[in-house]
Amino acid sequence: MKSKKSARIGLALGVIAVLVWSLGPLYWSMVASFTPPLDITDHVFHYFPVRPTLEHYGHLLGATSVTQGNITESVWPQFSRALVNSVITVTAATLVTVALAAFGAYAFVRLRFPGRNALFALVVATLAIPAYTVMIPLFRLMVSMQLVDTYVGVTLIYVSAFLPLALWLMRSIYQSMPLSLEEAAWIDGAGRLYTLVRIVMPLAAPGLIASAMLTFLSAWGQFMVPLVFSPTMATKPLTVLIPEFIGKNYVDYGLMNAAGMLAILPPLLVVLFMNRFLISGLTAGSGK
Amino acid sequence: MESMDVTATEVTVRAPRRRWISAEGGLGIVLAMPILLVMALLVFFPVFVTLWDSMRRIDPMRAGTPFIGLANYFKLFADQNVRTSALNTLVYVAVTVILETVFGVLVALMLNRVKRGRKWLLAAILLPWALPPVVNALVWSWIFNPSHGVLNGLLMDWGLITSRHVWMNDRVIAWLFISVVHVWRMMPLTAVIILAALQGIPAELYEAAEMDGAGSWRKFRSITLPLIAGALAIALSQSTVFAFNLFDEAWILGGASVDTRTVLIQVYQSAFQDMHFSYGMSLSVLVMLASLAVSLVYVLKVHRETRFD
Repeated sequence: MKSKKSARIGLALGVIAVLVWSLGPLYWSMVASFTPPLDITDHVFHYFPVRPTLEHYGHLLGATSVTQGNITESVWPQFSRALVNSVITVTAATLVTVALAAFGAYAFVRLRFPGRNALFALVVATLAIPAYTVMIPLFRLMVSMQLVDTYVGVTLIYVSAFLPLALWLMRSIYQSMPLSLEEAAWIDGAGRLYTLVRIVMPLAAPGLIASAMLTFLSAWGQFMVPLVFSPTMATKPLTVLIPEFIGKNYVDYGLMNAAGMLAILPPLLVVLFMNRFLISGLTAGSGK
Repeated sequence: MESMDVTATEVTVRAPRRRWISAEGGLGIVLAMPILLVMALLVFFPVFVTLWDSMRRIDPMRAGTPFIGLANYFKLFADQNVRTSALNTLVYVAVTVILETVFGVLVALMLNRVKRGRKWLLAAILLPWALPPVVNALVWSWIFNPSHGVLNGLLMDWGLITSRHVWMNDRVIAWLFISVVHVWRMMPLTAVIILAALQGIPAELYEAAEMDGAGSWRKFRSITLPLIAGALAIALSQSTVFAFNLFDEAWILGGASVDTRTVLIQVYQSAFQDMHFSYGMSLSVLVMLASLAVSLVYVLKVHRETRFD
């Protein structure tokens, strides 16, 4: 009995330690986002915002404020523009990637064509290629196609970067599905594409959602690709805009942390409400 | 399993007239074509160009782009900065892979025992992995900030240090902190992979072992460890590839400092800062080959796992 009790206490301590490790750094960033600029830079240490303020969020989302006689212009024009850019490129990349993977993976599993296995191996092998390896030729290519700083250009690069994982995932999903269902449909005279869209894909929906979530998170977090291919506000996403709040001489820590807190909201929602799909996606490749 | 599917497919769908490509094969090509096009244009072709250019001298300061064979590669081995960055990367790989594996397994074992609220605990653990790496790095640089950071604040509050440290000035501490930030992001992946394997272990095995009087350690050694070995290998190769490709954390926390820069930062420096394009490309080719070699272990392992399922 006694060892059972101590085991439970040990488990509780472990849970607390893991929660502090995972959420502590984010908590600290959140504290900074609610702390007035003067309190951030005074050298007194506080565990929570003593005089909480929405000043930094206001600064991001629309209000012009006055600190020590300096008028701080709202960064809402840039922030909203970057938010729209992020949403457009990430949504487009996710939809295209999942669509290509959903149809393509079926071909790689059920339809025999010459060079099938070689193509699959080549595509999956690109998972191991660091982005820097292709950066210079890719940039020249994008310039020649006049796709630098366009939604189409950035979306295409995201698709090429995240398609291999989605394809791998969807292939393992289709492989685990019984052939008998499809055979029944064929016997009833249904065509291949009809069977795929009306019977196979609905059954593979959890896999499709998992691929979409993984692609969404990867694209949302991209930094290096848009740094090179989205040089202006025309397509610049949040991840590139936020580090720019670190000026040459002055760092607005409150603003930076507030912007970071807003940028993590979409991934936070995905993790909270979609974690079942995420986890099935992360482990599907490992064979179980 | 795969081979069985394939034979079944062939039996049912083989076209009545034998042609080089069946109707099904034609559909297969149509469905795979967009993938081939995107990958060929945006990945295969640029990789090929990089391989080719890494054997030429491309330098805006010097005229012409002559073919120089493997000269860039030989030069790499003698380059002091390349050696230092390779050492840094090896340190990061060793430290992060060990920490991610040990703590990933511990967290997975713990999660496997939690009965109530596991979904929410899992969400909390997964969160650092899901966030944009840039935001992660900014959050941590704020923690390590010499003047206003929480680390100095806490340590001084507890009386452990008396003056504020500029943490990144000490090479060993910088190595450790950059590794910690990377582990914070990647450990959830190991934990999730191991947890999935743990959940596949039948409870009867443990019950039988308990009847035989086995203790916790004995059960872990004789049941858990052998049954998660496959997942462990996958998690290990994943961690290794990600550590090889470490960039964001070292870049935001350590900048271009030679003491902390990784091989990929060295690639960026050579190619984009110093404008030695082909020289930087040859280094990136070596990183690619190393990643491919490690990934091959992963792919072969997964292939075997799925085949024997």
